[in-house]
Amino acid sequence: MTTAQASSDHISLLISRSKISTEINKTGSWCFVRPGYQDRTAPCSAACPVGEDIGRIEMLAVQGLFKKALETILQENPFPAVCGRVCFHPCEGACNRGEFDEPISINKLERFLGDIAFLDGFGPSILNLPNNGKKIAIVGAGPAGLAAAYFLTRLGYVCDVFEAADAPGGLLRWGIPSYRLPSDILENEIQRIQNLGVRIHCGEKLSEDFLIEAKERYQAVFLGCGHGRSTGMNIAGEQMAVDGLKFLYRIRNGEKLPMQGTIAVIGGGNSAIDIARSLIRLGAKPIIVYRRRKQDMPAFEHEIKMALEEGVQIQELLSPVRIDQDGSDYILSLQEMKVGEQDADGRARVVPKDSKTQSLRVNQVFSAIGAEPDEVWKVPPEKIPEILTLSHCTITQQDLPIVFGGDLTNSNKSVTDAVASGKQAAMALDTLFQKGWENINDRLSECRVGNSPALSMEIYMGGDRKNRSRHIVAYNEVNIDYFQPCNRVVSLSVPLQKSICSFDEIDHTLSTTGAMSEAQRCFNCGICNGCDNCRLFCPEVAVTLEDNKRQINFDYCKGCGICVVECPRSAMVIEEKKV
Amino acid sequence: MMQLNIPDRDYLNSGHVGCPGCGATIAMKLALRVLGEKTVVVIPACCWSIIAGNYPQSALKVPILHTAFATTAAAASGVRAALDMKGDTETTVVGWAGDGGTFDIGFQALSGAVERQEDFIYVCYDNEAYMNTGVQRSSSTPYGTRTTTTPGTEWKKTRKKNIVEALAAHRISYTATASIAFPDDMMRKFKKAMEMKGGPRFIHVFASCPTGWGVASELSIKIARLAVQTNMFPLYEVEDGVKYTLNYKGNRSIDEYLKMQSRFKHLTEEDIQTIQEMVNEDWQLLLRKIGP
Ligand SMILES: Cc1ncc(C[n+]2csc(CCOP(=O)(O)OP(=O)(O)O)c2C)c(N)n1
Ligand code: SF4
Ligand SMILES: [Mg+2]
Repeated sequence: MTTAQASSDHISLLISRSKISTEINKTGSWCFVRPGYQDRTAPCSAACPVGEDIGRIEMLAVQGLFKKALETILQENPFPAVCGRVCFHPCEGACNRGEFDEPISINKLERFLGDIAFLDGFGPSILNLPNNGKKIAIVGAGPAGLAAAYFLTRLGYVCDVFEAADAPGGLLRWGIPSYRLPSDILENEIQRIQNLGVRIHCGEKLSEDFLIEAKERYQAVFLGCGHGRSTGMNIAGEQMAVDGLKFLYRIRNGEKLPMQGTIAVIGGGNSAIDIARSLIRLGAKPIIVYRRRKQDMPAFEHEIKMALEEGVQIQELLSPVRIDQDGSDYILSLQEMKVGEQDADGRARVVPKDSKTQSLRVNQVFSAIGAEPDEVWKVPPEKIPEILTLSHCTITQQDLPIVFGGDLTNSNKSVTDAVASGKQAAMALDTLFQKGWENINDRLSECRVGNSPALSMEIYMGGDRKNRSRHIVAYNEVNIDYFQPCNRVVSLSVPLQKSICSFDEIDHTLSTTGAMSEAQRCFNCGICNGCDNCRLFCPEVAVTLEDNKRQINFDYCKGCGICVVECPRSAMVIEEKKV
Repeated sequence: MMQLNIPDRDYLNSGHVGCPGCGATIAMKLALRVLGEKTVVVIPACCWSIIAGNYPQSALKVPILHTAFATTAAAASGVRAALDMKGDTETTVVGWAGDGGTFDIGFQALSGAVERQEDFIYVCYDNEAYMNTGVQRSSSTPYGTRTTTTPGTEWKKTRKKNIVEALAAHRISYTATASIAFPDDMMRKFKKAMEMKGGPRFIHVFASCPTGWGVASELSIKIARLAVQTNMFPLYEVEDGVKYTLNYKGNRSIDEYLKMQSRFKHLTEEDIQTIQEMVNEDWQLLLRKIGP
């Protein structure tokens, strides 16, 4: 035995040595509050008309799990590549990151995921229920009708879609120019819907009699055929104006329509902008004539800005009173308007300014002041006992349940609202068959995203999202100490001089690295992304991680609350301990 | 987004008796994640001697030697010598003392040991007062603080001692500040210190004390982060006593930090301004040492 060994043995006799762990002390008894994991609702998803789970989609995208991210979109929307191009993205206006630096480019990310689905040939796997033997007829293969068919099919119904035109898509195909939405993108997404088993019958224009026949063959009808007729202007010489919607249809139908000279486009909606921008591409000089102010135009702000950049002129506060022919020109007489009081909907009311008129000499006049139903049976009846008016559709039940949806009932006539209508109709019909008419409202409100009217099919079908709290995470609930300012991604686009010479798409899809770094900016408001702060900081070693699931061990948690405060994304809550 | 890529195993046990939200406990937890199993910790009288557990319990999965208040560095020197005699050069010896045990009573032992080039890591977890005995002022207590020994209008009128500069003046190979609110930075520094064997390494860890400072326990990390964000507690490293590296540049004003804590709640706007000027002065001095 060496001296060193001898002395260490000797010392070990004198120094008392602890041999057991403090774990026998259940310090959890000190605690009077209890922290816990609670995923909550992000403001973007509540602002999205179809309630997409955006915070989660971006979280999956950061991890490179594009297929999962896509499937998360497809739970709520069959059209990511389409909506990633044409949606007015109210999500970005609600994005919490907007208060920090700039909102997440949610729309561009959606487009990226929509496109990558076809590049990578993903066969998405999302929950579909087995066939339940019920059949639904859907009138109109536009975004509302196709969405209704998509969601109903996933819920187990057999759907027949009847379309008057010779190809499906409705407004997406005929009303939106290809520089905004190329046809192959649309076709891919329609194909995916057909792959589910949806049958689309084109060239079948139905009449009112169909509703009588349908009783024999179907358990319900969804009317999503939109407005077939352009609204009239009710002015003298109106018949000399070209119907703008028909013009867009002819372009999409492949007709060559060279244009020249100055052309007046009457209207202020998205169609007026689409027509004017198409006219630029065909060689004309369009002037949009609108009776209110530019800021009152119902067209999307981004579209107005693009139109102005491309050289479209906008003349505001002018209301057409008559059209006269003068040789090969037209004289458009315009009443000058001024701003009066506010409307009930907040828009400024305009009134004639004395009796002042102007005249505008142009080569052609196009009208684009809106559309209306072409036949009365497409309008929901009034004063019948069984009628239920929901945010995005109206259901009647006389002999057969009939849902009026899409533009027939939506106050906001956007593509994404049309999809929301198809989804709402699908949930309402399914509830009607499963639980009865009187339960529709309650069942649907269980599926709301946060406090918004947007409905989640994932919640309806009992997915994980049903455990999400309705609480919408506010900016001041995000722990911004964990984020650094970072500019949002810019996508490449075709230079203006080139883009106005063709109907080719203007913006490019984000690159994979661009998309991943943009998704990385997302706070993932209210959604745990496994950052592990809670476990790292817990002074009690009371956060456990097993199978990727974190849990709090209340034997030891003293309720200090650090985990809740240091959760960067407000996916934890603390509540008083119940005794 | 901060994503931490860090060792996962904890050497701290649940069931210890640290106060809820104790920053000193978090400091130990983070340090041991890096130092790992082959570590001996030497702890003098301080909060940590209580947190470590009553005999026969232990809150750590590594050996602890409890020692007298003034003797951390001397005891750590001895443990090192004993391990060396056994031929164990792998195990890291860590002296782990509070600010009172470091800035005040343990200072001569520490100064002597580092001058002798003892091979250990000395960690001062700084909660800015003698907390274990009921919040008495130490020479680490900052200007403006009310403690039980600087009560009422007699709040502390002298500045906090700059311990990092004192250690750097010994020209030891590594001196660094760290904060529990910056775990990736803190753990990097522990790793660096652990790998620099052969001489003394000193790490000054800012460890908030919700109980002693009058801060809600859930804000323990937040307050520690604010100390760095306001430059009250700058994060930096000094190699060989001369080579300075700054790790973080704060830009927040000090009142945000002071107003969150009841130990400062008596301060007037003027007092706060005085403190801000002191912080600015110290910061400028540090920047001069960092150089361009
Ligand atoms: C020689 C001696 N004097 C006084 C004490 C009483 N005592 C025990 S812990 C402590 C305070 C320690 O303060 P600090 O080192 O800052 O550690 P903290 O308790 O704040 O963690 C004192 C004064 C003692 N144990 N030994
Ligand atoms: S930061 Fe992300 S989760 Fe939060 S609102 Fe914006 S997009 Fe949604
Ligand atoms: Mg102390």
